[in-house]
Amino acid sequence: MIIYNIFTKYFYFLNNISSPISEIRNSLGPNDLPYQIPIHPNLVHLTIGLFAIGIAFDFAGAFYPFEKRILRFLAFPVTRVGFHDVGWYNILAASFITFFTVATGFFEMLLAVPIADVKSIIGQGAITTMLWHGVGGVLILFIFILMTIWRGYQRFVFRKDFGRQVSWAYLLSGTIILLLMGLHGSLGAWLASDFGVHITADQLLVNGVELKNYLS
Amino acid sequence: MYMQLYLVVMSLLPALNEKNLPWIDVIHPIIVHFVIAMTLIAVVFDIIGIFTKRSNLFEVSFLNLIVATIAIFVAIIFGQIEAGLANPYGSSKDILNYHSTIGWSLAAILSIITGWRYVSRQNNPNNLSIGFLFVDIILAFLVCVQVYLGDKLVWIYGLHTVPVVNAIRDGVI
Repeated sequence: MIIYNIFTKYFYFLNNISSPISEIRNSLGPNDLPYQIPIHPNLVHLTIGLFAIGIAFDFAGAFYPFEKRILRFLAFPVTRVGFHDVGWYNILAASFITFFTVATGFFEMLLAVPIADVKSIIGQGAITTMLWHGVGGVLILFIFILMTIWRGYQRFVFRKDFGRQVSWAYLLSGTIILLLMGLHGSLGAWLASDFGVHITADQLLVNGVELKNYLS
Repeated sequence: MYMQLYLVVMSLLPALNEKNLPWIDVIHPIIVHFVIAMTLIAVVFDIIGIFTKRSNLFEVSFLNLIVATIAIFVAIIFGQIEAGLANPYGSSKDILNYHSTIGWSLAAILSIITGWRYVSRQNNPNNLSIGFLFVDIILAFLVCVQVYLGDKLVWIYGLHTVPVVNAIRDGVI
């Protein structure tokens, strides 16, 4: 950290040349973005929430025969079709929104200036974390699209006349993807909490700016 | 004596890590995925459902609202714990207060809306009154304001991030 500070202080010209971001430095804020709050982490809420709850409701639909008595006992009238509707529409919406999640993620990753010489909990440096998170994000988008197509075929073709609209293989895949997404999301979370990417206070602190002067 | 009791209680609490948390990462932002995504998609599905006359979307909205209502209480529990450990500074104190107030209010509002939805659904599940769309829009607006305030705490003030926690521990902030 100290070395980094000395570097930025005395070899400023070198630092200026080393990154392509310096060309547009003047139009970026202290968080290295042209706006205050990053967009990608907000779209992530939708991607994760929609996919996870979509799979959860397909589970609810699959185990409907077991839940039937409890639901009747609670006087809560819901149908199996209703559960599977949530499973289908939520994953459809998740796939749609994830294009934007990945797009904004890449834009904001291009402008990322992670704190130097930091290691995450699993021992990765900033660039390793960003590369895994970036490539993993594209992979997850691809998997989402495949899952949505699979889900659609089950709903409208393969299992059209079945009470249980999804196969066990689909539910298993969904569970594995959710676990993968947990790990993938953690990488993203560490980019913020450990590497300080796009966090105004962290970037100011690392650059030796008094927070009291900047953030009242 | 009270001092000793205090020390015993403190020694029973789990140690805090470099993010000032008793667990690896913040949990509140993970739980709120399910409040934000489910309320916003419920509003979207209500609007699409009304304008395209797809009444099965109303059921999808309703079930999503139930998830959101359950999740918001879990989010508040973790939010309160993590807010208590956040050490806000400067105007992030005010933002955290607004965030807490709107958060608790949203729990009540979301519960009422979901309950109201349950009653109207009992009458006729294939119909949603246009009036509900206004409620939906107010709900979506409140959620967006809440997300914006929470975003400020993380992305501007960096609460529970390593550099800010270090600075607070070193007495720099």
